[in-house]
Amino acid sequence: MKTILKAALLVGLAAPSASAAELTVMTAGDQNMVDYVNEYLGPLFEQQNPGNTVRVVGTGPGDAGSQKIVERFEAQSKAGSPTWDADVAVVHEKFTGPMVKAGYLESYRSKIDTGALVTRANADMALGSNVSGYVMPMYNSQAALAYNPALVANPPKSYPEIVAWAKEHPKMFGYNGIKGGASGVSFVMGWIYAFGNGDAKNLMTGPFEESETQKWGPALASLKDFTKNATLTPGNAGTLDLLSRGEIAMGPVWVDMFYSWQANGQLPPDFKLVLPSPGMPGQPMHYVIPAKSANVALAEKFVQLATSPKVQAEGIVTRFNWYPGIDAKYVQAELDQKTWAKLFTDISPEDIATKGKPFPIAPYNNAILEAYEKQVSN
Amino acid sequence: MSNRPLSLILVAPALCVILLLFVVPLAASVIGAFEVGDGFGLGNFVKASELYTQDAIFTVVIVSLSTALIGIFSVAIAGYLTLGENPRTVAILRWLYRWPMFIPFIVTGQVLRTFLAKNGLFNNVLISLGAVTPLEAESYLDWRGIVIAFVWKQTPFVTLLLAGAMASLDRSTMEAARNLGASRLRILFEIVVPQVATTLLVGLILSFVTMMSVLSVPLMINAQSPTMLTTDIAFRINAYGDYGVANALGLVSLAITSVVAWIYLRHGVRKSL
Repeated sequence: MKTILKAALLVGLAAPSASAAELTVMTAGDQNMVDYVNEYLGPLFEQQNPGNTVRVVGTGPGDAGSQKIVERFEAQSKAGSPTWDADVAVVHEKFTGPMVKAGYLESYRSKIDTGALVTRANADMALGSNVSGYVMPMYNSQAALAYNPALVANPPKSYPEIVAWAKEHPKMFGYNGIKGGASGVSFVMGWIYAFGNGDAKNLMTGPFEESETQKWGPALASLKDFTKNATLTPGNAGTLDLLSRGEIAMGPVWVDMFYSWQANGQLPPDFKLVLPSPGMPGQPMHYVIPAKSANVALAEKFVQLATSPKVQAEGIVTRFNWYPGIDAKYVQAELDQKTWAKLFTDISPEDIATKGKPFPIAPYNNAILEAYEKQVSN
Repeated sequence: MSNRPLSLILVAPALCVILLLFVVPLAASVIGAFEVGDGFGLGNFVKASELYTQDAIFTVVIVSLSTALIGIFSVAIAGYLTLGENPRTVAILRWLYRWPMFIPFIVTGQVLRTFLAKNGLFNNVLISLGAVTPLEAESYLDWRGIVIAFVWKQTPFVTLLLAGAMASLDRSTMEAARNLGASRLRILFEIVVPQVATTLLVGLILSFVTMMSVLSVPLMINAQSPTMLTTDIAFRINAYGDYGVANALGLVSLAITSVVAWIYLRHGVRKSL
């Protein structure tokens, strides 16, 4: 304990830290998130800050992983622990609002150099909650339609065109419902943005109005018909799996997974992506620092490294094909032309700007999922 | 009588473990199922029945069907192990049938996911045998996939119990029947199975309860609609952070397993009388 305090003090004074502190990074998400810190970011940080070690804890994929982190903070907050057992956490967008509201997080963006490089609106407003200052985006992910050009010559450019295409090609469109991963959820949210009779903008920015939830009936009824005529796949990877085996010709996927599968040879190289209008939601993963971290200064240093243009270029874009968390123009300078072009081959930066939507704010999000369960699944 | 305090002390650690790790969480989850906002009520159950009635029925049907199939297959395998006349076949079967028992459910789900897909191994075999044409091939990754996974995984367990019980039977009755010209099938159903019925019932009940609690298989094979209650419980917690409805659903599946537990206890009590 004494050493940790000493280390924190030393780092706080910006003196070269000679004594050892252990920085605990808790991350939601798949194993690749744990590997990213273990194999790349951790060693890099340890090299730049000799004596300190980085320990990473994975809490599991999907919202469940972030839910576990929130519950951990909640438990330690209720127990009145003076210091918490995490120094940095990586969580889904949906959970940052409640964390800020409960006072679990420290406001640190203005304290680190890379804070000024963040320009996207979703770093200030997370699904309707103001989180400005409390989060730094690790990366932005985007859902899009993947298709097999051998079976689809003219891919649909909009949701109505998808409906028409799927009608002509029964069972050749596949998605994973809402219980098997977020690419299906994104497709459903896009459906409501396109066909819900309400105000899509209000769904994304709030405020929540009960009356709005009554306007989705016809959209959900048509989604039920659509789903009957489509193939339901087992999970995010399931959609890609069926695509690669030619069982379906088109389906919503995460862009980063698509490129990673292609790089591994699990998907044919000629498969393509399209982002249909009016758009599909994507989401950032955020770095947060718990207010009761034992190593706040070191944690800030860690996030600063993680969001520096060099790391964003090498780690986020090159390794994982994610869209950078900080403004892409700072990252472009660190990348060769080929890597940059690959990330934006099928989906241009303009597409992302106009058709890359946020998810609906939390109460609408839950209301849509539940309405889907009630009207489409039942 | 004089040893009573001592025996209480001896049993205390076990009792504490049961209280802390089983009774308390169970009670918390039962109470949680009735918590609505600040008070208590049936709101969670109303919501659960609105959204998941179909899934509850689906769960009962799938698990019951699997249990029935497990019964049929385990009687067939154990019967052959007991009455089979070709020693080599019996030896091979005895060696083979236990394998799935040592494979976790999650791995079963993963293996079957590629095996049963539209272009999976299963359909490829059917196509190469000429049983179906490539266009007719369909994916089995729906309720059939779940049933296949459950039956494949749980049959060895029941067979193991059943084959043990059959082996300990008095063979003279079987041999007498054989001498009088009874077929092996008749011996199986009229002499062997009635004598091991209790073991079969216990094996099936334990399988039923196990299958009710499996999350990985429905999640990997068919997380669609309708799906099994375990998937819904996980979804309620992960997507909404809603422990109320999840607890209510847990209580529903507890009620379903209680029915078979009641049969089990009733049978056990009758046997001991």
